[in-house]
Amino acid sequence: MSAAVDRAGAIHEALKQALRPEGVVAHEGALEMRICAGTACHASGRVAVRETIKEELAARGLADKVAVVETGCHGFCEQGPIVVIQPKGIFYPHVRPQDVAAIIEASVQADEVVEKLLYRDPATGQPLAHEAEIPFYKEQRRLVLSLNGKVDPYSIDDYLTRDGYSALAKVLGEDDPDEVIDLVERSGLRGRGGAGFPTGTKWRFTRRTAGERKYIICNADEGDPGAFMDRSVLEGNPHVVMEGMIIAAFAIGAQEGYVYVRAEYPFAVERLRAALGQARERGLLGTDILGSGWDFDIQINEGAGAFVCGEETALIASIEGKRGMPRTRPPYPAVSGLWGAPTNINNVETYANVPWIVHNGAEAFAAMGIDDSRGTKIFSLTGKVANGGLVEVAMGATLRHIIFTIGGGMLPGRTFKAVQLGGPSGGCLPAEMLDIGIDYEALMASGAIVGSGGLVVVDDTNCMVDLARFFLQFTQDESCGKCVPCRLGTKRMLETLERITEGEGREGDIELLEELSQYISDGTLCALGGTAPNPVLTTLRYFRDEYEAHINEKRCPAGRCKALITYYIDPETCTGCTLCAKKCPTGVISGEKKQAHVIDVSGCIKCDTCRQVCKFGAVKVRSGIDQAAAVAATGA
Amino acid sequence: MLGMFKAMKTTVGHLLTKKVTVQYPEQREQLPERSRGLFRVVIDPAGDDPRCRACTLCETNCPVQVIRVNYTSKYELPVPNEARIRETRLTMQPKPDLAQLQPVIDHYRETGTGMMAVLQNTQGLYGYLPRLALEEIAVQTGSSLSQLYGVASFYNQFRLSPVGKHVITVCHGTACHVAGAPLITAAFSEELGVGVGETTKDRLFTLEAVSCVGACALAPVVRIGEDETHGRMTPDKARKLVAELRQREGVT
Repeated sequence: MSAAVDRAGAIHEALKQALRPEGVVAHEGALEMRICAGTACHASGRVAVRETIKEELAARGLADKVAVVETGCHGFCEQGPIVVIQPKGIFYPHVRPQDVAAIIEASVQADEVVEKLLYRDPATGQPLAHEAEIPFYKEQRRLVLSLNGKVDPYSIDDYLTRDGYSALAKVLGEDDPDEVIDLVERSGLRGRGGAGFPTGTKWRFTRRTAGERKYIICNADEGDPGAFMDRSVLEGNPHVVMEGMIIAAFAIGAQEGYVYVRAEYPFAVERLRAALGQARERGLLGTDILGSGWDFDIQINEGAGAFVCGEETALIASIEGKRGMPRTRPPYPAVSGLWGAPTNINNVETYANVPWIVHNGAEAFAAMGIDDSRGTKIFSLTGKVANGGLVEVAMGATLRHIIFTIGGGMLPGRTFKAVQLGGPSGGCLPAEMLDIGIDYEALMASGAIVGSGGLVVVDDTNCMVDLARFFLQFTQDESCGKCVPCRLGTKRMLETLERITEGEGREGDIELLEELSQYISDGTLCALGGTAPNPVLTTLRYFRDEYEAHINEKRCPAGRCKALITYYIDPETCTGCTLCAKKCPTGVISGEKKQAHVIDVSGCIKCDTCRQVCKFGAVKVRSGIDQAAAVAATGA
Repeated sequence: MLGMFKAMKTTVGHLLTKKVTVQYPEQREQLPERSRGLFRVVIDPAGDDPRCRACTLCETNCPVQVIRVNYTSKYELPVPNEARIRETRLTMQPKPDLAQLQPVIDHYRETGTGMMAVLQNTQGLYGYLPRLALEEIAVQTGSSLSQLYGVASFYNQFRLSPVGKHVITVCHGTACHVAGAPLITAAFSEELGVGVGETTKDRLFTLEAVSCVGACALAPVVRIGEDETHGRMTPDKARKLVAELRQREGVT
């Protein structure tokens, strides 16, 4: 008994030793300016903002009184670059370098706010000063993302002062791998990568398989277009993922770990690499972790841009340096994975949940959610929604809650048409289905999937046939070519859909699509092929009338499909400002100043430039082929 | 001259014979219930040579892994004008400095794993994977050139020909697609006079499409090189961007 107590005590002591107080960047309660350094805010110009802040602070002699912290993604990507003043929690969106001086003067030096720079509630138009008041944050249940936006991802000490790695110390101190697996199993945690396999069960399989060497892999090959949860977690708080991985490795008995991360995420790779270095230096990774006598190390493997490598067997082949093609299962990776050894693969978000479960217990985790879906799930909300960004909600929250309460509804003037879930493997759900809760089984029944968590909101200007064609194009490009039904079947489906969007749809095309979908999902090895027809099947299920309009009436109700629309200028609204005529790349718009302009449709390439530059909404799209224009075109 | 007529005769002959390709799914062949078919190596009727070139693709692709390719063939495979083909190919690419490559290969030989990293680092050095570099890697690591080529051509990241100075990447993720990414690509394509995946003649621009760069909130997104990201693009902004880059380069 006393030996066990000694061991736990020694490990906790080692954890305390790992912290270097001088390395802490973000102090709880201190005066700080936190700048979001996620990819979206970076693209919106956070570097210029940071430099201006530093200059301004230095100019005011505040450089050593106010710390400037670059945190990971705050999640409210739509509003970048974001600056938050702590501990007051004042939130400034869309910060430009020229605003910095005013912000520092009001909110750092004094106790005020710059009202014109504050976030405004899209519903009421009221300015909201504090992060906690904004509905986008208020309505979320942030568990995995709790430290995102609070810690500097380059500082392990920031993470350590917030109880970081104490879950690992607890697990190592108790020295009972089976108990860890029991805990995860009881919590009801399921794979967050899409399929929703119970995590505890997977760990148990891998633990039970005999083998001298075992591996653990973190799947960060987030290839779904429209999903960026994993990237944000890795960029914002890489240590929480690593801690989860180390705990999993201990439970399973693995000696080596890999993080397979997309090369398209340079920040994530860079921050993860830095985090690994720091963890090794502090004895949290490598040999004799925290003095427990147990060795484990993690390597980074950069992906090379193949969507199919998100599938576990393809991912393993890719780490082995081969073409990333899936193989038959069984044997599952838990039995024969990387280099033939038992291997456990989980998604970034799955691992990131583990430290929380160890801290707070399985029951607290299971208390969130409904039925067989427990805990929280992160979604990346994008598309035609007012407040796009990262949203973490408890399982069971309805789509309506996510899109309309947290997301603030549609962009001004847009009408909701559908929401696309789960990327190319998922489906589109119409407005009638919005009250469905986030639940693996319920969503599966609706034809969509939870997937990795992409939520793309689509409005009435998006054509559902075109969207289905887009996803088919994607799976066709990304199909590894191993299984004939996927390689050729998606090609044939794509050709059919292209025909429909080009106005050459035929009677029987819809039935053909349905039949091919069945063959493809029956005849392929991996989930990529098996779920490839889902976007087509769900749009056929909920938006069949659009397909019929394309095929029978040769028109695109949404006005998207180039072959089925005509651009024209409304003479009533046109003010004759000549802007469209100047911008037209083919020069087919003519008209005198202050006179209504006309588009010569025979030379129009339908590039949409004129419609986008028109300030008066005078350029319009007519659905259906303009008969007169068609005659003129053939005549010429 | 006579040879040409013979060839024409064959071509015209084939034009008149019945077409054997079945246009699935419009036309379908009646297959017996539970038909499985049998695989065998096709022997070229002209000579007695098998048409198999031991590329091992069938072995890699077989879903149930029942194909094993025996690499040592008893047939001597015809090698038509190899020296000339090689020469032509190489003149199309500038000669890479192979000395730079040595540390990359050495690292691989120390650890024995991470062929992907070798290829990624090679591309980091030259901007693409030159054939000579691939040959060098193959020789020094004991893998075959065809295997390396198989890996390099599988992943979107690897390029087998040099790229332009500015790589313009248009994101075609879902969020960007619904926000009009196809129109952005069309505008770039028109302005530069090249299609997706192509490089302009002056070697200044390469136009590429990528699945998702993960900056969906700023859709549609365009990336120039590694560091520059432009969000909320319009076809008009795309044209301006090209003009701006051209100006930066002093080309009009």
